[in-house]
Amino acid sequence: MPVKYKEREIPDSVVKIREDIRTMVIRGAGKIARAGAKALAQAAQAYSGFSLDDFLNYMEAVAEYVRSARPTAVSLPNAVSYVMIRLKRLHPSSLEEARTAVIKAAEEFIEYSINSVKIIGELGARRISNGDVIMTHCHSTVAVSVIATAHKQGKVHKVYVKETRPKMQGLITAKALSDEGLDVILIPDSSVRYFMKRVNKVVVGADTIAANGAVINKIGTSLVALAAKEARVRTYVAAETYKFSPLTVIGELVPIEVREPTEIVDEAWLKENPNVKVYNPVFDVTPPEYVDAIITEKGVIPPQAAILILMEEYGLNVSDILTQFNEVKEEELGE
Amino acid sequence: MHSTHTCDEAFERVEKIAKDLKSGAILGSTEAAFVVFREIREASTACGKLFSKYLLQALPSFIEARPTSIIMKNLIRNYLEELIKEASEHGFDEARGRTPEIIDSILGDVTKVQEAVARVGAKRVTDDGTILIHSYSSTVLKLLEIAKESGKRFKVFVTESRPIGEGKVAASRLGALGIDTTLIVDSAVRYIMKKISDVFFSADAVAANGAVVNKIGTSAIALAAKEARVRTYVAAGTYKFGLETVFGELVEGMVLSDARLIIPPEKVNELAGRVLVRAPLFDVTPPEYVDAIITEIGVIAPQAIPLVIKEIYGWPPKVVSLDSLLEEVRKHAS
Repeated sequence: MPVKYKEREIPDSVVKIREDIRTMVIRGAGKIARAGAKALAQAAQAYSGFSLDDFLNYMEAVAEYVRSARPTAVSLPNAVSYVMIRLKRLHPSSLEEARTAVIKAAEEFIEYSINSVKIIGELGARRISNGDVIMTHCHSTVAVSVIATAHKQGKVHKVYVKETRPKMQGLITAKALSDEGLDVILIPDSSVRYFMKRVNKVVVGADTIAANGAVINKIGTSLVALAAKEARVRTYVAAETYKFSPLTVIGELVPIEVREPTEIVDEAWLKENPNVKVYNPVFDVTPPEYVDAIITEKGVIPPQAAILILMEEYGLNVSDILTQFNEVKEEELGE
Repeated sequence: MHSTHTCDEAFERVEKIAKDLKSGAILGSTEAAFVVFREIREASTACGKLFSKYLLQALPSFIEARPTSIIMKNLIRNYLEELIKEASEHGFDEARGRTPEIIDSILGDVTKVQEAVARVGAKRVTDDGTILIHSYSSTVLKLLEIAKESGKRFKVFVTESRPIGEGKVAASRLGALGIDTTLIVDSAVRYIMKKISDVFFSADAVAANGAVVNKIGTSAIALAAKEARVRTYVAAGTYKFGLETVFGELVEGMVLSDARLIIPPEKVNELAGRVLVRAPLFDVTPPEYVDAIITEIGVIAPQAIPLVIKEIYGWPPKVVSLDSLLEEVRKHAS
């Protein structure tokens, strides 16, 4: 049975990408964004109709379908918009022109996204001093890029990597950094304040950056940033500009996903303890005053200047934002 | 509970108990003291003439295995003082025979103190409030139980308390008491702090300056509570006060480096040897993050600890070192 969305048949390859994003087989904001762009290109490729108007209508449906995979991953709607805005601005006159435009924009986005990782690594490494001890949380490709680039310049003494319960993404980071030849020390999340005294810089990634510069990232990030602030350790957030959330400009709060209890305890434990609830919020919000700088591919900015990036990328015209981003309504609110 | 039948078994078990103390398998510091005294009590009946040898061997390994458990240190000091007093009056063998009695009296006092602390602390539970606790503490569980019995309604958030995960045990117990309990990961404490009315910790030790030594993660929670203007209480009987810290001793922490504490079995091969694991079991919360210490003699400011020490032990407190007490035991026994 082919999957249908808004009466439109969705190609299998697109269904698979959306499913992989939804079930976190594809994870990490950058990978999700690139997968989203790729899904649009594949949808365009797979379109078997003959009418331009029908194609545009079909692409709108696909875009919405892909976007809905993970409501909290802002990189996904941004990647989709990157492609869709280019399609609309082109005012294509033929089906083939439109199809090519989608494929080209998607490829362009993917290349841009991959280059961003490198640029952010280079810009971020400039903020690392010789002999620095770094702490990081969760897994972020751009944060790893910053630390690895600084390491290649001989600057990093060692890295404390937090385990990052419940999904233990710290293990991925520990492996990635150790592959780059860094000295890695894996620590429990609870020891964040204990080790902060020995740390010079905190480098983390971000899932979403709000218009006021607040950083939405894996649960525990705000506690790391707070402990860093207390110890006067600088905190850097590495993030591509497609992680900035246009919807926050029009007052939307970033929804915080709450996931399954079984990520924390197993089924058997839940059965033995019917009276105990398990609350598993996946993200938290780090206030901008705890962040020293956000390192983007367009430069190192203070978090409070996030609005600048949003103006440049999406225009501050509220009606523009509203039309570019179909609102994804969520009940659960951030800080 | 199993019991020791022979003195050999008692000796053999020293190493096992020390290991459990070190790895955190024995959860709370009060529990640690109870386990250790159960061992001493059994050795006192099983060992006869070898009992002094047992004490000289077992006590230093117990203390070394859990240096943060000041209650264990203080109670062992009390016990040895009693034992030596008895020995100098009636001979060592008589003193050995009275050991179960001495221990029962000490542990009886501890239970009374814990109860008193819990009663005082229960009054600080905000009615209709939301409480956050960390790790596993028999004192804090008792406190919440009393608060519930007194008719207060409240919810409790419990951190899983990695790397040992004893928060899950605490959550189980609270759930079984019918208290509205929610388990969270350690990382979620700042996220939920806005909902919290009071934070309750226990302590392994309270230093003379009011600094609180407790399970790893405590200080980060206290910091997040301070940031959110949430009150933080430490429920700890005065026997948890580190008398030696008056003379500048630092409470020694333990750091484990077993990769299996963090890395799941299927990933150990991939990461072990390339990645170091460091898992401290305790941290130190500065006194300025603690609103009050709840003791059996009342609720006090952490900075007022020296006053309480003075009232109980005099000033400067008379603290006989454990080494010199063990030396006395050696003399009496020979």
